[in-house]
Amino acid sequence: MRKLMFTVMVFLSVLLPSLLFAQGRTVTGRITDANSRPVAGVSITIARTNAGAVSDADGRFTLSVPENATILISSAGFKSQSLKIESSQTEIQVKLEEDFAKLDEVVVTGLSTNVKRRNLANAVGTISSKELNGVAPAQTFDAALNGKVTGAYINANSGAPGGGISVKLRGVTSIFGNTQPLYVVDGVYMDNTATSAGLNAVTGAAAGGNASTQDNPSSRIADLRAEDIENIEILKGASAAAIYGSRAAAGVIIITTKRGKQGKTKISFTQDLGFVEARKLLGVRQFSAQTAGSLSSDSATSVALSQQFTDAKAAGKIYDYEKEVYGHKGFTRNSVLSMTGGNDKTSFYFSAAQKNEDGIVHNTGYRNTSLRLNVDHRVNDNIKIGISTNYVNSSADRGLTGNDNNGVTYSISLSSTPDFAQLHPDKFGVYPNNPFGASNVLQTIALMRNNEDVNRFTTGVNVEAILQKGTRSTTKFIGRGGVDFYNLVTSALFPRELQSQTVNKGTAIQGLTKSLNTNYILSLVNTFNASDKLGFTTSAGYTQEGGDFNNVLDVATQVAPGQSNIDQGGALTAQQFRNKFQNEGIFVQEEASIIDAINLTAGVRFDRSTNNGDVSKFYVYPKAGLSVNLTKMRILDGGFFNNLKLRSAYGQSANFPAFGSKFTTLVASNITGVQGSIVNIQGGDPNIKPERQTEFEAGLDFSVLNSKLNFEFTFYNKKINDFLLLATVPPSSGFSTKFVNAGDLRNQGIEIGMNAQPLSLRNVRWNTSINFWFNRSKVTKLTIPPVILGSFGTSLGTFQIEEGKSATQIVGNDAPAHTGLVVLGNQEPKFQMNTFNEVTFFNKVSLRFLIHWKYKGDNVNLTNLLNDFGSTSADYDADPDKNGVPSGPQRIGQFLGGSARGFVQNSGYLRFREIGLYYTFNKIPGNIIRGLRAGVSLNNFITITKYAGYDPEVSNFGTGFSTGVDVDPFPASKRAMFSVTIDF
Amino acid sequence: MKRIINNYALLLVAMAVSISSCKKEYGNLNSPTIEDYLKNASKDQLNGLVSGSLSGMRNNEGSYLDAVGVIGREIYRFSNADPRFVTELLGSGSTTLNNTGFYITNPWSSRYRTVKNCNVLIEAATNSTLIAEEERKGYLGFAKTLKAYELLLNLNLTYSNGIRVDVSDPNNLGPILSYDESIAAISSLLDEAKTDLTGADVAFTLTSGFTGFNDAGGLVKFNRALAARVDVYRQQWTTALTDLSASFLNLTGDFNTGISEEFSTGSGDQLNSAFFPQNQNGEVRLAHPTYTDDIATNDDRINKATLRDASASNSGLSSDRDVWVYTSSTAPIPVIRNEELILIYAEANIQTDHFTEAVDAINTIRSGHGVADYSGAVTKDALIDEMLNQRRYSLFYEGHRWIDMRRYDKLGDLPIDRPDDDVWSAMPIPSVENP
Repeated sequence: MRKLMFTVMVFLSVLLPSLLFAQGRTVTGRITDANSRPVAGVSITIARTNAGAVSDADGRFTLSVPENATILISSAGFKSQSLKIESSQTEIQVKLEEDFAKLDEVVVTGLSTNVKRRNLANAVGTISSKELNGVAPAQTFDAALNGKVTGAYINANSGAPGGGISVKLRGVTSIFGNTQPLYVVDGVYMDNTATSAGLNAVTGAAAGGNASTQDNPSSRIADLRAEDIENIEILKGASAAAIYGSRAAAGVIIITTKRGKQGKTKISFTQDLGFVEARKLLGVRQFSAQTAGSLSSDSATSVALSQQFTDAKAAGKIYDYEKEVYGHKGFTRNSVLSMTGGNDKTSFYFSAAQKNEDGIVHNTGYRNTSLRLNVDHRVNDNIKIGISTNYVNSSADRGLTGNDNNGVTYSISLSSTPDFAQLHPDKFGVYPNNPFGASNVLQTIALMRNNEDVNRFTTGVNVEAILQKGTRSTTKFIGRGGVDFYNLVTSALFPRELQSQTVNKGTAIQGLTKSLNTNYILSLVNTFNASDKLGFTTSAGYTQEGGDFNNVLDVATQVAPGQSNIDQGGALTAQQFRNKFQNEGIFVQEEASIIDAINLTAGVRFDRSTNNGDVSKFYVYPKAGLSVNLTKMRILDGGFFNNLKLRSAYGQSANFPAFGSKFTTLVASNITGVQGSIVNIQGGDPNIKPERQTEFEAGLDFSVLNSKLNFEFTFYNKKINDFLLLATVPPSSGFSTKFVNAGDLRNQGIEIGMNAQPLSLRNVRWNTSINFWFNRSKVTKLTIPPVILGSFGTSLGTFQIEEGKSATQIVGNDAPAHTGLVVLGNQEPKFQMNTFNEVTFFNKVSLRFLIHWKYKGDNVNLTNLLNDFGSTSADYDADPDKNGVPSGPQRIGQFLGGSARGFVQNSGYLRFREIGLYYTFNKIPGNIIRGLRAGVSLNNFITITKYAGYDPEVSNFGTGFSTGVDVDPFPASKRAMFSVTIDF
Repeated sequence: MKRIINNYALLLVAMAVSISSCKKEYGNLNSPTIEDYLKNASKDQLNGLVSGSLSGMRNNEGSYLDAVGVIGREIYRFSNADPRFVTELLGSGSTTLNNTGFYITNPWSSRYRTVKNCNVLIEAATNSTLIAEEERKGYLGFAKTLKAYELLLNLNLTYSNGIRVDVSDPNNLGPILSYDESIAAISSLLDEAKTDLTGADVAFTLTSGFTGFNDAGGLVKFNRALAARVDVYRQQWTTALTDLSASFLNLTGDFNTGISEEFSTGSGDQLNSAFFPQNQNGEVRLAHPTYTDDIATNDDRINKATLRDASASNSGLSSDRDVWVYTSSTAPIPVIRNEELILIYAEANIQTDHFTEAVDAINTIRSGHGVADYSGAVTKDALIDEMLNQRRYSLFYEGHRWIDMRRYDKLGDLPIDRPDDDVWSAMPIPSVENP
């Protein structure tokens, strides 16, 4: 690589012509919106130079301009303008028009190129800082995305503190490969691994094996601070993301953090205070002496249980344990200090933030401390360097919930604990054993810890150098890269006093993870304007991405009292998992713009990876796009349509095989102190190939009513060929699973977006956007027999990959009505809609809200079944259908009768995800405080759903393919917050 | 433009140079690969496969014992997390055994995994040039004996549905054979192993579960003991007696002499999953109430089902006794032991009309457990019932009752707890086998 860097340096030193600017006179100006309100933060630059200024809180700016200059005025959310400054002018007034359709927004088209949205061939989604974090801030960054991405199916895995969100863009793109998009922050590829804390050693959720996807880990992208983010762009599929190559198959989420601005140093401090509580509790069964007795079919025990109930009732010791466990109101606080400023050479953005939130269960919570420094520096007029650095420490106490075969999680323990059980500690603080289950949940909460602690450092560098600049052609070198490193410590401690530790006598599970991701792109971009009507942008470059992940998990049992170190245990088992890869890519892309109305893009990326069966083979991923703006071409002129664009795009991408899938390995299996090796249950395939995605999308965008009403229609067809399946192989082979390229999959969908300004009065303004989208998937080819996966088998409802069927269908037994397997539902929503609204009164009061509607889509809900089996469901004794059989036994009866139908439940919802009301104080006496904003917000406060579990958003198996399996999760929470921001 | 194009060309050349020097293959970072072992395995590598096979025998052993014990009405297994122990396994209502159920898929795949490991051991030992011929025979005989045992356990589950015997090529598996073909294949595999072990040199360390059997002669005795069990399953009574004489049968010896699976708390080791502490709640194993109801006076085997502080109930089933066969998390699980051999001896003698020898053997068992001598009728049918009853108590929760009642066509005699319950005769072949 050294040779390459050298070559680049030579270019930089030899080819850089220096340009000098004549400094002219000073012009002052004021920028306002359509209602004459000042607009701050608008960038004013002199055309064809790098000189410029930024407007202040009053909308004012001062700029030194040469003779006959043209200035360009642009600001996010407004249409760009260019103004010629007459030689007589010393003061200018600019009125900006709102850009509802975001037509002037600059959107990425490649690794180092971008284009205005009006010329874009793809439906690239964007989320602004205000939409992300300005309504009702979520606990973590990933949760803040929820409900905001058109074309995505975003689902929270559980309500546990610290996040854990699955983001699927345009349907299921992979079944066993990566389903989650690539996150790129300021050019740095971020690791988003969810690392299991090894809780399976205690819960036995995945009986018989060590690795488990049921440990409810958080996704590492949650570490990111939403407050630091300026803008998010979402490339939903290969047609937009092909140039990102093999890591872009599930889409790319490009995050740009806030940068410094030239001007007076601005310090801003925000303090949030609030609380969090369970969104919903299921309720518990009210026992009577008779129902208490019926817990046992043994007559003596039955009598004793009745007596126990009577005694407890007489002593006033009947408890709602669900409320005791999940009913805690957690206090939350978040403080953010940010500072921006700079001069014409150097600007910076600095932020320091700390968040500390209690959970809805005692001894759970989330803490995040972050420092960010972004510095931009112009070495000279031709070389710009941007540096981003971020340090994060996050710590999540996630509690213990979810599936479990040993009766130890809060939820499974609760499921068999009746209200007359006595679980409270005695006067010595000793908790009694729970006679109704394998653990005493109050004891577990008091003594157990399950913590994830991350120290993460991310830094990125962006170098842009103009190598050559002429009247028609400009050539730039763009180098971009960075490092994302974190150290994750998971520690789960189950002290020996716990009832559930009778056998193991104290368990300490310590996981140490080191993850290093590096990437860089070296590219050359040439823009060539052949004439006013014809422009070309050519880019080419080389990229390299590497990852090195090392996880050591130690499980110590018989741990000494009060100790957590693994060397304090009587027995120790260890596991280690390493993962290392290097991908290389070469790309070339050509974009042509004809009369600023027709845009053509074509590109190709060559990719290879150490994860492939053949490490030296380059795979080729092409892409192409075309957009035609009919209004700009004057085919449709001046009339009904203010802007009308037709577009289509095509691209290919791929998902690498999982690390190690090409090897058949032996794993350690020791016996009485003698080292042993046994074949791994996963067989290898030396010929494994990446799964290849081909996406075609076409769309129509138009604006009417003076651009106050804007529409975007998109249709896409995304095909995944050779999708990877961890196929279940006949276990008589000695293997249970094996990665195979098993078939083809298709996702088709429609996305419709509308934004408008229905109300624009002097004192009231209402901006709204409404989006509608749906996806339909189909397995078009399967070379192996149908595969059941993602849940607990056909008697409880499971996913099944089957040719000709939806990839997300849920099948199961349904005796006695049917024999064999029948389709019981589909996890995919019929459609989703969201609406984001902002109503501003007197330019001071801003009411913002986000409503998200998911229509239908099924979950496999086993939570109620487990409560029925424990005879504790709230409606156990109810009999709504008046057939004389209470609901609990009736549901058990249906299951015993061989029907899984009852577990497959509609999980649609209408959710007021975020509501915020903010007040801005315009006139602040004194010179110290420049601005003050105060507000209240509600997050997840109102949800309308028929779903019977804690929350329709749930996933027992985390972020993989299988979403929506509900097994006693950590209940979802709602948040209320008061917030004050002071600008200095 | 020209200069730009030249620049591009230069850059691309630079890239090409750098790329060709960056080509990497990281290999598998986490564990050895089978291919490494098949080339020319060292003794240490082969010994690792031996221990790995012994270790693998224990995977899902608890699940196997639970499934066989529940269907054979020896025990109840209650679990808050999995209802299928009290539904599908007992055939409650209209539920039936499911070919995706954990009770078949987990033990089935664990047994075949050990079989695969034995096959890798066989192939690796065959290819190795680093061991003596006698040592090779030791590895082969050991691997084949273990493989036969593992296949037998799976055949016990699927019975008339059969098993696959030829599984050496994962991409080209042999057919699923009928019960008779399968058990005949197991029998001849044991015979083959015996031939290998004769005159072999055991170059590997075995666990303490093989104490007294850790040389070639000891392994032959182990092998013949298993052969005797297979013989009675095949109703080859005289062969059974021949095999017994080459085994470690000792009519006056300790009932517990034999080969067992060992457990320890060591690193990478396993604990006995068939052990639960007494008086647990939630996850429990209970003796079927008829165990106590039917037991003879003074029978010390009542200690295998200890009285609980409070009885446990689930789905209309209730019992006040814990299963207490494995009394610690490191208690061994027998593979085959003298008590079973004495009962096989009794059985073969009953079937060959040597009633005196049979009654003597039965009385050895009875008196060994504090029960008075057999005083019932000395007829074939009566003695078969008595022999089965002794097996029920002597081999309680060791995985025999269901198989014994089945081979004598007496599944109908097993108690039914709830009106719609069923006693299954065989587990289905897992659906993933595409039978």
